[in-house]
Amino acid sequence: MPYIAHADHRVFYEIEGPADGAVYVMVNGLTQYASLWRPYVAALTAGGFRVATFDLLGQGHSDKPALFISQDDQVEILRALVAEFAGRPVFLAGISFGGLIALRYATRYPQTLTGLVAMSTFAELPPQLQLIGAALRNGLVLGGISYLQDLLLPMNLSDAWLGAHMADLDAIKRPGWLNNDVYALQNLMESFIGFTPLTPDLPQITVPTLILNGEFDFLTPRPLHETLRRGIPDSALVIVPRAYHAFTLERPGLTAMLLRKFAGEVAAGSFVGGGSIWIAPETDNGEVIAFPAGFDPMRALPVAPSTPLPAMPPLAASTS
Amino acid sequence: MSAADPSAAVPPPAPFPLDASGRVHPSAQTRAAAFLLCAHGTLATRLAPTVLGPVHTAGQVVLHGAYWREMEICSLLSRATSWTFDAALPFLTPRWEAAFLPAPVRPGGTLVEDQMIDLSAFGHAVYGGIRPATLLPPKADPTDPFALALGMLEFESSRLIQGQIAVLKSPALASRRPAVVAAVEFRLTQIRTLWNEACADF
Repeated sequence: MPYIAHADHRVFYEIEGPADGAVYVMVNGLTQYASLWRPYVAALTAGGFRVATFDLLGQGHSDKPALFISQDDQVEILRALVAEFAGRPVFLAGISFGGLIALRYATRYPQTLTGLVAMSTFAELPPQLQLIGAALRNGLVLGGISYLQDLLLPMNLSDAWLGAHMADLDAIKRPGWLNNDVYALQNLMESFIGFTPLTPDLPQITVPTLILNGEFDFLTPRPLHETLRRGIPDSALVIVPRAYHAFTLERPGLTAMLLRKFAGEVAAGSFVGGGSIWIAPETDNGEVIAFPAGFDPMRALPVAPSTPLPAMPPLAASTS
Repeated sequence: MSAADPSAAVPPPAPFPLDASGRVHPSAQTRAAAFLLCAHGTLATRLAPTVLGPVHTAGQVVLHGAYWREMEICSLLSRATSWTFDAALPFLTPRWEAAFLPAPVRPGGTLVEDQMIDLSAFGHAVYGGIRPATLLPPKADPTDPFALALGMLEFESSRLIQGQIAVLKSPALASRRPAVVAAVEFRLTQIRTLWNEACADF
């Protein structure tokens, strides 16, 4: 297996796809592992992209430092991986904890990126997320990885998906249970000790940025993505309908389509950023539509926005 | 950027073999349980002096609980295992016991502090470095007492390791962090290697 060497540690990674294609680098969420991106590798390589997946330090096949893991180390590992593709268009996509690492990377090394995709993620730790994070950590400590999975699955996936997989949940959980270790996950969670908000640094992300947020994501709800939309100058927020926090697992076809579309628009110079807000289609091949004028994207109720929304293309216009 | 695959000299063990009834084969039970009893017995032995006197500090409360959990683990493993003859054990157990003796820590502190670091590093490696329950195949009989014992061990380990983490990450040892990290990495490598070797025959 290939590894990136970082300090005394080894980080597992895989690269697939045409050698001359634009690159997508995928960054895992907290309890994830590289092979969960397989549907994306298939979809993106079929579209001509080269795709890099890896396990963060402390995850899966990568080394698991016994006592401390810093988010700065994760950023530097990402830097080493991205450096492999110097001179080529590189798009960085991260989900949740991996989204935070991707954001942190993009604030420091925007010149190495062509585009950024921030999915179900955050730049700040408001009280709700901080307390939920602490509760999840306590769940891990008191009940182990299996209990943490028991908490995360119903929190992050829809009834439709869970209902269809109820009989297989133990088998679905098993790879995550095997690949992760309590102390390593705990170290990743405790890498938030001393966390300082990234919000002041977001304007340093100068590349086009696609922000994806599930409609029903209550682990990282809309206000956290609104922080990103307002802070990153050339960003567009796309709300994924009926989706929860882990929509990358539940809707890989749709999400891969959005990633391909974003990279294509950036390459063509047609990406509409500027804090624009959109709604992803219900189906994998539908149209992305502009968020309707007159409604507040921060609210579940159909009320008018308290502050004006950015100027948008006409309703039902596609971003492509 | 790319380093060659530096897989450990002793590869991770394969899943436990099952007998016709779906239970872990007695030979695998015997080898695994012997190793685990040796490791957890060492922890119990080294914790035992800490529970002799009255409890005056928060740390003693943790140690008191850890000692009795270790006693429970040893008792359960010894009774839930289907023991069988293993000709290698007379050679393996002295090797394990010698390896589990207190190990020196990089100099810089008191003897008591060094012992605390080594004991905590050893516990961290035993609870976090090996996960016997992950070797149970999905088809293993979930009512097999040995499988249940390993499940209990997995469950308790996430709690028991907290005491070690609290000590090893404590501000009191911040000035000795390189020594602490080195001690933990040494014990993790040692325990994993011995465990992988012990299970290599399966």
